[in-house]
Amino acid sequence: MNCDEARLLVGAEPTATTPALEEHVQGCAACARFRAEMRTLDANILRALQHPPDVARAHAPRPAAWRQWALAASLLLATLAVLGVWVLRPSDTLAREVVAHVQAEPESWLATQELSAGGIDAALRRSGIELSLTSDKVTYAQSCWFRGHYVPHLVVQTARGPATVMILRHEKVRERRSFHEAGMSGVLVPADEGSIAVLGREGGRLDALAGQMQKEIRWLPEPH
Amino acid sequence: MSERLSAPDSREPIGRLFESLRPDLLRFAHWLARDRSLAEDIVQESLLRAWRSREALQDPRAARAWLLTIVRREHARLYERKRLELVSLDEVLETPAGPRLAEPDADVFALRHAIMRLPIEYREPLLLQVLGGFTTEEIARELSLSSTAVLTRLFRARNKLRVICGMTPAPDVPGSEGAR
Repeated sequence: MNCDEARLLVGAEPTATTPALEEHVQGCAACARFRAEMRTLDANILRALQHPPDVARAHAPRPAAWRQWALAASLLLATLAVLGVWVLRPSDTLAREVVAHVQAEPESWLATQELSAGGIDAALRRSGIELSLTSDKVTYAQSCWFRGHYVPHLVVQTARGPATVMILRHEKVRERRSFHEAGMSGVLVPADEGSIAVLGREGGRLDALAGQMQKEIRWLPEPH
Repeated sequence: MSERLSAPDSREPIGRLFESLRPDLLRFAHWLARDRSLAEDIVQESLLRAWRSREALQDPRAARAWLLTIVRREHARLYERKRLELVSLDEVLETPAGPRLAEPDADVFALRHAIMRLPIEYREPLLLQVLGGFTTEEIARELSLSSTAVLTRLFRARNKLRVICGMTPAPDVPGSEGAR
């Protein structure tokens, strides 16, 4: 499979996996990044389509000029209000994007085979992170393109089922924040550099796992 | 009167099943037609057609996909019949839909508008895939296209939406858009 074929398949069906595609993205960073972006986009498309479009056919005659200005002004105000909410509550948006990212990689929850230390290191190294997990079993480790950076995306098997960990070096949060969305519970906690997101479908020891990560992560200089 | 007599009977299990799927059908029709009252007409007509042909539905588990294809065909019929009367998108987008305060995600809001603006040849396969859960091959059969043409349309639909979300558009892929 070449890059054109991989892009066509990923762009048409971002969650598609075939042996040929997997083999290609393993060796092609550009296509791997494209796939991660398309999966994030697809999760947003799904969210966008969840509700019918909020439009109604305009039966009324065209509004007078002053009405158009009033409409433009009210739309501007509404947009500013939305941006205000968005800017003032960045952790909400971050949490949603984390959930969307996890939803876009459903296979991550299914892995059961414990990864070797080398496999985990490969996912962490790209972000300049070392982790010495001593007690938990890591069954998924990828370096994912998220908000303009490669971030480690791990799945750790806990007593309450799998939990996802994303180490977000470039996303600062001021304080711990919990969230529930799309059947998942999660916490975002500050870290020495950036933040850590931990998500699970069964609840459980998310805070404990987040605390453990805070202690066990070693921040190295970021590779260029 | 005859229409009323042939309407789905919600006392029968199959009628209840059809009714339970009405919200899904309405959402699908609404995204296709971009107009709520048209979408309601399409769904009503589709449910009547489905009720009349209910013997053809062998497996109730396939009801959702079966009904969605009926809705799609009903929309296509209407689109052909009333081509010149269908909604002007400029008019639609001019109406004060406005961003929802409860939906503070700028990307999702922008995507909703962008999906509305997608030409029908891109919007239709995208809706069948994302809302309908149809495979590429099923979409190809439904739209009488080759699988490659469907893949190309889906790729181009998403590539247009990438730009809306601030991502660099991917280079276009060589591909056929032709019918089978």
